[in-house]
Parts: sequence; C-alpha cells; structure tokens
Amino acid sequence: MGRYFPLVWKNASRNRRRSLLTISSLALSLCLLGLMMAIYHALYLSETDPAQALRLFTRNRVSITLPMPAFYLQRILAVGGVKQAMEFQWFGGAYKDARDPKNFFARFGIDPNKIFTLYAEMRMPEDQKKAFQSERTACIVGRRLAEKHNFRLGDRITLQGNIYPMALELVVRGIYDNELDPESLYFHWEYVRQAMPGRDQLSAISILADSPDSVPRIIHAVDEQFRNATVQTRTETERAFGLSFLHMMGNVKLILFSICAAVTFTIMLVSANTMAMSVRERVREIGILKTLGFRPSAILGIILSEAMLIALMGGIASYFLARALCGVIRSGPAFSSELMTLTIRPQVALVMQLAAVMIAFVSSFVPAWSAARINILEALRRTD
Amino acid sequence: MSETVEAMSETVEAMSETVIDTRHLTREYSRDEYKVVALKDACLEVQKGEFLALMGPSGSGKSTLLYLIAAMERPTAGELRVLGQDLNRLSDGEIAHWRNAHIGFVFQSFNLIPVLTALENVELPLKLTHLKKRERHEHAETALKLVGLSDRLKHFPRQLSGGQEQRVAIARALVTDPDLILVDEPTGNLDAKSANEVLEILAKLNKDYSKTILLVTHDPHAARFATKVRYLDKGELLPEGQKPAD
Amino acid sequence: MKIPLAYNLRNLAVRKATTLMTALGIALTVAVLLTTMAMVEGLNSLLRSSGNPLHVLVMRKGSSDELSSNLNRQVFQDLKFKSGIARGKGGDPLASLEMVIVVNLPSVDNPDGSNVTFRGVSPAGLEMRDHIRLASGRWFQPGRAELVVGKYIASRFPDARLGKKIRLARADWEVVGVMDAANSAANSEVFADVNQLSADNNRTEVLSSALIRAADEAAAPALIRDLEADRRLNVTALTEKEYYELQMRSGDLFRYLGLFVSLIMAVGSAFAAMNTMYAAVARRTREIGALRVLGFSRASILTSFLIESLLLASLGGLLGVLLVLPLNGFSTGISTITFSEVAFHFRVTPPVMAAGILFALVMGTMGGLLPAGNAARKQILTALRDI
Repeated sequence: MGRYFPLVWKNASRNRRRSLLTISSLALSLCLLGLMMAIYHALYLSETDPAQALRLFTRNRVSITLPMPAFYLQRILAVGGVKQAMEFQWFGGAYKDARDPKNFFARFGIDPNKIFTLYAEMRMPEDQKKAFQSERTACIVGRRLAEKHNFRLGDRITLQGNIYPMALELVVRGIYDNELDPESLYFHWEYVRQAMPGRDQLSAISILADSPDSVPRIIHAVDEQFRNATVQTRTETERAFGLSFLHMMGNVKLILFSICAAVTFTIMLVSANTMAMSVRERVREIGILKTLGFRPSAILGIILSEAMLIALMGGIASYFLARALCGVIRSGPAFSSELMTLTIRPQVALVMQLAAVMIAFVSSFVPAWSAARINILEALRRTD
Repeated sequence: MSETVEAMSETVEAMSETVIDTRHLTREYSRDEYKVVALKDACLEVQKGEFLALMGPSGSGKSTLLYLIAAMERPTAGELRVLGQDLNRLSDGEIAHWRNAHIGFVFQSFNLIPVLTALENVELPLKLTHLKKRERHEHAETALKLVGLSDRLKHFPRQLSGGQEQRVAIARALVTDPDLILVDEPTGNLDAKSANEVLEILAKLNKDYSKTILLVTHDPHAARFATKVRYLDKGELLPEGQKPAD
Repeated sequence: MKIPLAYNLRNLAVRKATTLMTALGIALTVAVLLTTMAMVEGLNSLLRSSGNPLHVLVMRKGSSDELSSNLNRQVFQDLKFKSGIARGKGGDPLASLEMVIVVNLPSVDNPDGSNVTFRGVSPAGLEMRDHIRLASGRWFQPGRAELVVGKYIASRFPDARLGKKIRLARADWEVVGVMDAANSAANSEVFADVNQLSADNNRTEVLSSALIRAADEAAAPALIRDLEADRRLNVTALTEKEYYELQMRSGDLFRYLGLFVSLIMAVGSAFAAMNTMYAAVARRTREIGALRVLGFSRASILTSFLIESLLLASLGGLLGVLLVLPLNGFSTGISTITFSEVAFHFRVTPPVMAAGILFALVMGTMGGLLPAGNAARKQILTALRDI
C-alpha cells in the first residue's frame, strides 16, 4: 500500500478547503469524545493515588449531614490497622457575601498536628506548618484559593457560621500546595469545639490505614463496632466517598455515555459525507485508474486510506484541543479531586486515534466499495 | 433599479436603429508576463432586424467579441454601445438587469438547470420581471410552442434529446422578448438534423419576428442561415465581404 | 426571492444522501442542546409549582438552606404572633415549625445511595400545603414513627415504598402513605410528624425552619421585612419561591455542560454543512454562470444558496426535535445544592422546539454564508467554462 501513499496524499490535499473543514469538524467532535473518555477514565478507571488509597472516611450511616458522637474518634483510633484518625469537619457558613459563588469554598475543621500525616501530599514550608500548629485561630489555604482571593500570610478571614452559630475569626498562617485539593481552607477544629461546648459531635472522620491490605478490614471493623449503637456509621474509601458526592449530582455515567454516543455518530456522518462527496467527484478518474490497470482492491485501499489519513489528522488535532480543554476544566470549580488533575493520558489519546481510524474505516467503506466495483465505461461517461 | 431599466428602454426606442455599435474595441489578456491580444480595434455596426453570423477559426476573437457585447467581459480599450447603452458606465447589478431586459443568450452546451422542468427553465428569467405568475406561465408556454416543444413542458432536461434541450434554451432566451439574441456555437453539441432544426428556428425568429440575432460559429453551414456574415482572423475583424486568406 | 424555492428543494432532493447525512449531524447537535433545555425547562416548571408566593420560609440568620439552619422552638413561639400571618381553619396562625434532615437511601439510578429530604411537619404545615393530596395509604398519626412519601420517592427509591420500614437514628419508621404534590418538590420529600422526628434525632428544642403563610400578597414583603429586622429573633426570611430558586442552582452545572457540548458540536456541524454547501456550489458552477447570464444578480445567487443551506439546516432542526420529543415527560432526579435529590420531568415545550430550530438555522447560516458568497463572487465566464 505504501507506494500508493503519494496518490492518497495528493487526493486528500486536492480539495484543501474540504479536507481542512472535515479535519476541523472531526477534531472538534473527537476532542469532545476524548474529553468524555478522559473524565470517565479519571473517575472510574484510573489508579488511585497511593496516598489516597490508604485513606478512608467514616460518617453517620443515615447521611453525611447528620453527626456522630465525638468519642467515636478515640474508638476508631483503637481499631487494628488504623495508623491515624482525625476529625474532618465541614464548617458551612458564609465568607463575605455568600450569594457570590466565588465566595463559596470548602472550609474544614481539622487537627493541625495530624493533618500533614494523613495528607502527606500537602506541601508547605516547615515554618508555616509550625505557625499554623501553634496558634488556635490560625488557618491554611490552598494555593489556588489564595490566588483567587489574594490571601497573604497574616491576612484575617472571618467566616459567619450557620450550622455553628458563631463567627470564626481566622488568621492565614500558611499556603499549601496540593493538586488534588487546591481550593480549601483548613483551621483548628478545637477553636469551634471550645466556642460551642455543648456540641461535641463530628460528622466526618478521616482515617489513615497502615497498609492497603488493612483497608477492607478497617471498613468492616469500624462499622461493626457501632452496629448496635444509637448512631451507626458508614466507612468507605476516600475515592468512593468523593464519587458518591458526584453521583448525587446526577447520573454521571449515563450523561457521559450519551454525549459520547451523540458525538461518535456525528463524526461518522461528517466523515461518511466527505468521503461520499470526494468519491462522487472522482468517478471519472477512478474509471481512468481502472483503464490503467488498477485493481478494485487497490482502489478500495486508496480511498479507505484517504479517509483514514484525514481522520487521523483530525485525531491528532483533537488531542491538542482536548488537552487545552482539560486545562480549562482543571482551572474550573473544584467539584471532585479527580477532575482537578484531569489530563489526556496516553491510553486515552491512543483510544481517540483508534476511534478516529475506526470511524473513518466504517464511514468510507460504502463509497469506497461502490467506487471499486464501478463499471469502467459508466465511470468514464459520468460528467459530474 | 427597475425604473432605470425602464428609462433605458425608452432611450433605446428614441435612438437610432443601430443595435450594436463598437469603435476600436480591444481586449487584451495578460498571462504571466505575456500579453495576448484577443481582439484588436474591432469596429462593428449591427442594425435592427439583422441576423449576423461572426465566423472564424478558434482563437480568432469571435467569442471575445460576443462576450464583450453581452457585457460578460469588459474591454481593455475602445467604445461599446449596445442598444444605445454605453455598457462601460453600468455597474454589475445594472448590467444584470439590463441583460435580463434586453438580451437573450443561447450557449453551445445549453446550460439548462437540471433540477427544473423545461417550463420552469423557460419561466426562470421572467421571475425577474413584474409579470404575474399566470402571465409568466403563458409567456413560457408560448415560447416553448414557438420552438415546437409544447408537448415537453413537464420534462426535465435529462429526459430530452440534445436538440430539444437547445430548443428549450432558445425558448428561454426569447421568452423575455429581448431586443438582441446572442448565440454562441449553438450547433456544436448537436447532430446534423437537430442542428438544422435549431438554425431554422433562429432564422424564423429573425424573419417572422424581426429579432436581431448575433450568431458566433465556425460552421459555414450554420452561417448560411444568417442574412450577413463577417469574418474574424487573429483578433481582427475583417472588412465586410472579406474572408481570411488561407 | 427571485430564484424559485423549487430550485433549492429539488437540488437537496437530488443529493439526498449528502443532504440527509448533513441534516442528521445538525439534528444530533440540536438534540444535545434540546435535552439540556428540556431539563432546564423541567426544573423551571418544578420551581414554578413548588414555591407559593404567600409562603415565607424562616431560617436562622446566615443560613442558606434549611439543612444548615437551626431554629429554636422559643423563636418559633415568638414569631408565630407577628402580624400579617394568615389564620387557619381553627383560627390559629398558619405557621409550621419544621425539621429537615437528609437520609441516604439507594435509588433506582444510584444503588450507592442518593440523599432524600425528610421533613417533620406540624398539622398547620399540612394545612398550608393544600396542593398535596394523598395518593394511597393514609396520613401519619401524631406520636408515631410513620412516614408519608412523595410519589417520586415511592417510585424511585425501592426502600421507601408503601409498607416498607426505614431505620433512622433510633426507630424503624413505617411508610404508611404516598402523597401527590401536584408536580412540586414535595413529591421528592418524605413527611413525618415533626415532634416524633425531632425526638428520634434528639433535637426536640433545636429544629430547622419555620414556614408561615402571609395573609395576602401585600403582607408577604412586609412580613419578611419585619422578621429580618427583629434582632431578638435573629432570623432570615424569604419567600418559598425564592428559596427553591436558590436550591436549584445546582442545575447550572448540567446547563453549562449541555451548552458547552452543543456549542462545540455546533461549530463542527457548521463546518460539515459548509463542506456540503461548498460541494453544492462547486457542482453547480456552470448553472450559476447561466443564471447570471439570464440576469440574476449576485445578490439573488447569494440568497438562493443561503436559503438552500437554511432549508438543509431546518430539516436537521426538525429531525433534532423529533429525536428529543420522546424525552418529554421522562423523569429523573437531580441534586439540590444540599445534595438531596429532587425529581423533575424533562419538558419539550413549543418554545424549546422553536429554540432548536433557531439553533439549527444559526448553524445553517454559519455553514452557508461563505459558500453562498463564493457562488455569488464567481465570474460569469469562468463559471460557464467550468467543466
């Protein structure tokens, strides 16, 4: 087939405008396909980050919004295989004007002496860590959050509580880096506990296992321990916990699949249409090729290769487009940590190219087949 | 716009009986650095009611002269008045209206619209006039009757023979009752019998309806149907009665 | 329009394979947009029927939702006697102290569990929600661990069907009735006796919110101002309507996703339409020359090809509408900003369909303008000589 390549190339570049339009059209559709695949891959197929794989969450069985007694933390720490456990308290409340979505970011009350063990991937200078740990009203913020609101070390942040009817007066003592979680604020849970002595309850506890093997054992042991208590618990891996939030938003898999299906079908139509047009215009030439002694199989091959060449160029362009779009998503709102590190992985890029070639093959087969089988005289007589 | 067209037609009536008047008409083409002179210093006068055949071998400039008269091309130099109108002064849009109102054109390769029926093809130029739908219909039917195709109204071009297609094209050219019919090698794509039919129709249009016709052809048989013949050679319009020396 | 429409229609029919493929591409793009719009329309209709403009929702100051609000029984006793509150059948003010919790239950779409809003209501609360009818079973009895579920809850959550028992904090609660809340959000909630539910959660003094009914349209804003200004109560008040609008902002995510995808697809489809129209122009170059010789102006040629592109696009638009039509009435759940599920219907309304056709026409214009311009720019002689 290689010796026909110059001919294939000439044919593809003969109507340059059409080829370019087709390539752009394919690139746009394929990049959506790639993006959806990348999201699917990130959510359901990718390897869990090793640090993340060791982390679990425990919450009230009935729902995350209901609390558990605070003493559960001590009981969990005693479970075999648990290396560390820490309160991980959602503090709702409002920062400045709550109606501005920009002011809506995650705020968690934690234990400053444990958080850097549990979340080893959080990077922060040692002196900032010390400053954070030694001051009860200190807080730390993610790099991106700090950039968005122009927070600097020493700035004061006031959070008006709602679940906890109090105002939190915090001082920024550190800015941390963490790609998975770039937009959160962490403060001493002890601060709230002392301000509201009557409410010694927790709604989420973060657990670090000593090894991946302990994870299933811990899930079982923790929930079993509270089976007959007034408040039962539900323990799951951090990843499952995160996904359950996303799933509450809607049927994510169905949405991803429907978009992929619509896009794939559109690409097929575009590609089939282009090939049908270019074959129809060339019927006479195909007749001439045949009089020169080209076999039907060669003609079939030439036309199929042309379609695949165009699709592949669309595929390559779509890879770069999709990568750019991933960047847009990464800088978007932090829905889930999986999307915060969204990239087009090599596997996904490869599947995109395969999809392009497959689609080109399927869509150009009919016009190629009929061109290969056309009668010479009929072809030569054709004028358009 | 249409008012200017009407105004122009009035001036036409008021002017002389000269339909085409060219003075030193020249047309040059530049290909890369070469200059090709397609037509040089052509002076031609055609009176109302004439059926003039322009003859000459290919490359003699006869088609160029025809295209200049049809305002499909603009001259490089010289003056050109058709129906008393200085074509150089008209804009593209005005020329389109002028053509529709005064000129009928017949091509070598018919150029019918394949998706329209014979009747619709003939009716097409009338869409640009103020005629009512019923009147358009009647005019188109009359024109087709004149070329002997009243039984082919609903046929599409591909269902007609070449001669019939060319007759539809003639009907389309005359349906607007033009002052001048320009015909470009009308028999080039036809067999002898169909060619004769077409030429007879043109001669009849000239004789019975006093239509001014300018025919471009390289076929001496076709030229015989004209009332007058002029020859061109190598871009030059030869004087009346003179043939190229070969 | 000088060049007859039949010219364009027949040309589209002659190239039926190309026409159909291009139209289908446009149709799929329109379908993605319309699905999004049908969803938004469904959410809007849910909002319209959920919020009664006379109902005022009272929460603790600073709360954005009932779930994070804590309202003391004492505060409720005080605000109940504000002026401008409508009176019920028994002559008491129409005000209901309520408690809201969310419970995670497996749903048909999400076996891992979706959140369901459980609402403890008082007899006044039921009297105020006069749009709710009992569809089957009976109402819960005060003092008993009984639940009445909205009709969507009954159909979407297998554990919440009539006769089933749900374990909350302490007791096993029996589902004794299913209510039909006339397309409002209450169809996606579970109602129980407020005192019973708060006792079960060990929160008898601190509840969530209060719902009160203003005497008339004019009284509602005054009542809200009065409540907001009362420093002693320390509450925030807004109409039920406003509250639901805030809660459904989570639908924005899907709206943006849908718009984003359909926009990218639209550019792709416009390119495809452009290809088709360029091919049409190329195939008909000689015809264009002939039309010009007949006296049709460049503008007529441009219009004619543009119209052809628009015809092609509107065929796509119609197909797109047909594709989405079966979605009309299909119901699914969406999460509010507090992550509890609310069911709604997709609604393919006439304005939605019109928007789809309009969107297709925009694609047709984008795809048709350049090729039509190209057709109009052709020189007569070059066009005629084209083989």
